Amino acid sequence: MSDDELHWASMARLRALMADGRTSSEEVTRHLLARIGALDTRLGGFVHVAEDALAQARASDRRRRRHGARALEGIPVALKDNYLTRGQPTTAGTTAAGIAFPQDADSACAERLRAAGCVLIGKTRTHEFAWGTVSPPTANPWDLERIPGGSSGGSGAAVAAGLVPMGMGSDTGGSIRIPASFCGTVGLKPTFGRVSRHGIVPHSWSLDHPGPLTRTVEDAALTLDVLAGYDPRDPACQDRPVPDHAQDLGRGVRGLRIGVIDNHFMDRNTPAVQACIDARIADLARAGARVRRARMPILELGLAAIFAIELASSGAYHDRAVAEGRSAQFQPDVRDLVELGRLVTAVDYLKAEQVRARMAEEFRQLFEQVDVIVTPTEPLTAWKRGATHVRAGDRDESVLAASWRLTYPFNLTGLPAISVPCGFDDEGMPIGLQVAARPFDEVTMLRCAATVERMMGTPRRPALG
Amino acid sequence: MDTENTLAAPALSLLRQVTGTPLAPERLEALLAAGAPILEEIARLRTVDLADLHPAVIFEPTAAYRRAGR
Repeated sequence: MSDDELHWASMARLRALMADGRTSSEEVTRHLLARIGALDTRLGGFVHVAEDALAQARASDRRRRRHGARALEGIPVALKDNYLTRGQPTTAGTTAAGIAFPQDADSACAERLRAAGCVLIGKTRTHEFAWGTVSPPTANPWDLERIPGGSSGGSGAAVAAGLVPMGMGSDTGGSIRIPASFCGTVGLKPTFGRVSRHGIVPHSWSLDHPGPLTRTVEDAALTLDVLAGYDPRDPACQDRPVPDHAQDLGRGVRGLRIGVIDNHFMDRNTPAVQACIDARIADLARAGARVRRARMPILELGLAAIFAIELASSGAYHDRAVAEGRSAQFQPDVRDLVELGRLVTAVDYLKAEQVRARMAEEFRQLFEQVDVIVTPTEPLTAWKRGATHVRAGDRDESVLAASWRLTYPFNLTGLPAISVPCGFDDEGMPIGLQVAARPFDEVTMLRCAATVERMMGTPRRPALG
Repeated sequence: MDTENTLAAPALSLLRQVTGTPLAPERLEALLAAGAPILEEIARLRTVDLADLHPAVIFEPTAAYRRAGR
């Protein structure tokens, strides 16, 4: 196996190669550990590399020989640093004194990945408590002077750079899809309740979604197959059958009804993003999809609603830290957001939940006429480090407001959404296309995303040496 | 929010009391200034009448029993 083959191979490809005996978990893990050692000092994607990664890989190889392979046997994966992981530290990105998380227990996702045979190779960097969009100090593999997006920026950078084929992220307002779009990876946020959040450090209880960042749509489907399912430890987790999420990946989009919402999603993007998304929608129409245009005025209140819910929830979670003065040690942006939570009134919070109910109903009505909704994932591409405001469309916005503008509607509504690479801007930075679907219809969402992926042909890779 | 950004000490004290925030007055004043755009955005919720709409918060009295497997 060549080095390039090993580190750019998808999970599906690695699975096939290991099944054929052409490589082993130990060989792949050893290679990726060396690549992390060589490149991650510049990227900063990992905060911890498992000391026992090679031992996990050897144990997986032994198990394969003796008992056969499990679903993802021997494949190295990483977890964002807000997932409890037995034997590995979890910090949720904070260095504040007096805040510690257990190291002797697995989150539900870590449990399921282990049970599927994965090697848990390490933990990836998150913006503190999964707030924020820049994941400091992680760099974007396509341009080290740019941010990777966040808050799952470590996973985005690690997957895009070929350090690991899958990194888990968590998504409260877009934190899986934003780094996926900025780093040129796939990022999947499942339906709220599809994957257990047990053992993930909470950000906002009704908005948090776990999900994978991968280099292919197929890998996102394979990972979801393993992660999905009921867990009574998560009060929101739903007891529903788990389908084969890869069943329709090759089906194409002939006859698929695609919705495009012109306000909010299509009216304030950079020219490069808008041109790219328009071109992909035209491609999908040429491939047999039927495109229906719509408007949804309630989206105008989405930012107000998610701010109210997220600030109040985060404020409640960190209330003791604020009361005891420990929030003073948080990063300044995170401290402001957490401490603002006390200033959201109960009436504002419940009005936000009313807006949310209206928005969910309007999406339901639209989904009577369409099967998926297609939008840009981000209104712009990754910006240079240090920027506090960006321009997309006709106005300047804070980087937070811009980066989650097109993603948070699907956190407020809990609908499944995926970002898939769909092109590059003039500066060579990736652009993502977002596909959303009805609750628990990830199969149709993945079908559309896989079609876009095939349209793009052989993927470009960042030049990292 | 500009006027609130320079709240007099009694007003800051009242705000601390009503919201229960443990932040010192000077920190609260700085936070109000830094968070003004966000608080203004949230204030937009007060402009809409949604009285006939049940919020997306459902209390489920059986949840504890379901978790316990009963």
